[in-house]
Amino acid sequence: MSGAGSGERTLELLIGPQHPASGHMRLVAEVDGDVVVRLRPDIGYVHRTVEKIAETKTYLQTIPLIERPPLADTANHNLGYVMAVERLLGVEAPPRAQWLRTLLAEMNRIHSHLYGLGIHGIMLGSSTAFMWAFGDREIMIEMAKRLTGARITYSYMIPGGVRRDLPPGFAEEMEKALRYLERRLPDYDRIFFSNPVTRARLEGVGVLTREDAIRLGVVGPNLRASGVAYDVRRARPYAAYPELDFQVVTRSEGDSMARMLVRVGEIRESIRMIRQILARMPDGPILAERYAKMIPPKWRDYVRETGRIKFPAILASLRPPKGAEAVSRVEAARGEAVFYLVSDGGPRPYRMRMVTPSLRNVVLFSHLTRGCRVADIPAIYGSLDYFPPEADR
Amino acid sequence: MVCGLSGTVLVGNLERSARRAARWLVERTPVRGIRDWGIKFSLWPVHFTTACCGAEFAAASAPRFDAERFGFLPFVGPRQCNLMLIEGTLTRKMAEAAVWVYEQMPEPKFVMSMGACAIDGGIFWNSYNIVRPKDILPVEVFVPGCPPRPEAVARSIIMLQKRIERGESVGLRV
Repeated sequence: MSGAGSGERTLELLIGPQHPASGHMRLVAEVDGDVVVRLRPDIGYVHRTVEKIAETKTYLQTIPLIERPPLADTANHNLGYVMAVERLLGVEAPPRAQWLRTLLAEMNRIHSHLYGLGIHGIMLGSSTAFMWAFGDREIMIEMAKRLTGARITYSYMIPGGVRRDLPPGFAEEMEKALRYLERRLPDYDRIFFSNPVTRARLEGVGVLTREDAIRLGVVGPNLRASGVAYDVRRARPYAAYPELDFQVVTRSEGDSMARMLVRVGEIRESIRMIRQILARMPDGPILAERYAKMIPPKWRDYVRETGRIKFPAILASLRPPKGAEAVSRVEAARGEAVFYLVSDGGPRPYRMRMVTPSLRNVVLFSHLTRGCRVADIPAIYGSLDYFPPEADR
Repeated sequence: MVCGLSGTVLVGNLERSARRAARWLVERTPVRGIRDWGIKFSLWPVHFTTACCGAEFAAASAPRFDAERFGFLPFVGPRQCNLMLIEGTLTRKMAEAAVWVYEQMPEPKFVMSMGACAIDGGIFWNSYNIVRPKDILPVEVFVPGCPPRPEAVARSIIMLQKRIERGESVGLRV
């Protein structure tokens, strides 16, 4: 019993950090019978001090570091960080590199959304959704592996360009993968989204109104599910997004179901975008001229033949001008990610600030669960696609 | 403690002697082989996600890699689990929870640590908020990688099974 007086009728319930809903955080719920009076998320279980460590690593070494917190969504955060570094240095990636970055970002968005969908499935007790989503996620991971060489931590974007060009036959393989995914989405609809159990557990649960979404500063699909058509890719386009034709998926209901369906809609939009990218990819170099000419002559043939960049030594000791500051915003899979960098003229960032979408969405835990049932907590938690390492950094 | 049993008199701690006798019996060849074989194929990791390697751990349990074919089934309650997988970095706040969860698990219990961070800090080696799992838990198998590929997780499960079979990992805190 909480509180001192005997008149208190609420009970404090601790959920986690070891719980079925994929861990990393504790939810402190104050319950009155079965109704949640107040729910306080206890975050910080995965606080690994990324921002502080970034000050001890060079600009290039920081790329793998910022990929660790949002592990399911590395490409978008990598892109955001690299854009900030490029602004510090005054470098611009060539057009083909921009398109390749967008390609990987969209592939990552698909498999990150499928990851969220699978975790949501397991929170609702639907093992089928978990198995299907994680199985289909592997398709995109495999394609990304062919492009970058890594399963999920790509470190693909480097200041001034990307590491590798498209491998031969990539477009045809990708078309097969996209067709498979398109064929699968109606199956998900049949077995999971329009399943009466799923609908009963998600529809009308955790409703976030448009006004509250704006007031609380929510980002990403959670915001768009409440009817706000805000997307950084549209509001402040970057990389190849200005030239792509896509829609900002929104829904007006604002409940858990809407949040999930917005993600499914975004998977469809990403599939469309990947098709456009592969059809209209411009030719040209994949590394900015300023760095490409520093590749040692004996490696230039290798780079030309294989399309794999041999890092010029300058990348290991990038020194932006003293006092330079840069901010970049990207639309990561879970929402808007902001990177802020300050340079003191040395090879390491003076300060790296990383505002991740999960950090901005954590406020929803206490807002949406007020007055809901204890059984609704997983349904709401899963629909937020909250990734604790990303929020704690 | 002295017990009288129809004429015979047993002297000593009966409870402890019984336990020792049972242990002696179980440690003999036929029973022990069956026991280890049984443990080998029922390694149930507790669903305790400490950091980002959990994404690859989930992929290892998903259809493409399917760790369940080794009898490896992630489960919710620590009371029903005998394997703990430290999935990546262990922060100070999480280390406390890790020890609690480990203590709740029944014996025999095993600890595997996944990822470079769980070996010696990995990319976060100079962070002020991390703990090396080997300092607080008896880790049996280390899985290198950042994050380790799901194949590496599968291989580490087989390694642990072999260790159990050979009697190198008993999973008991004697």
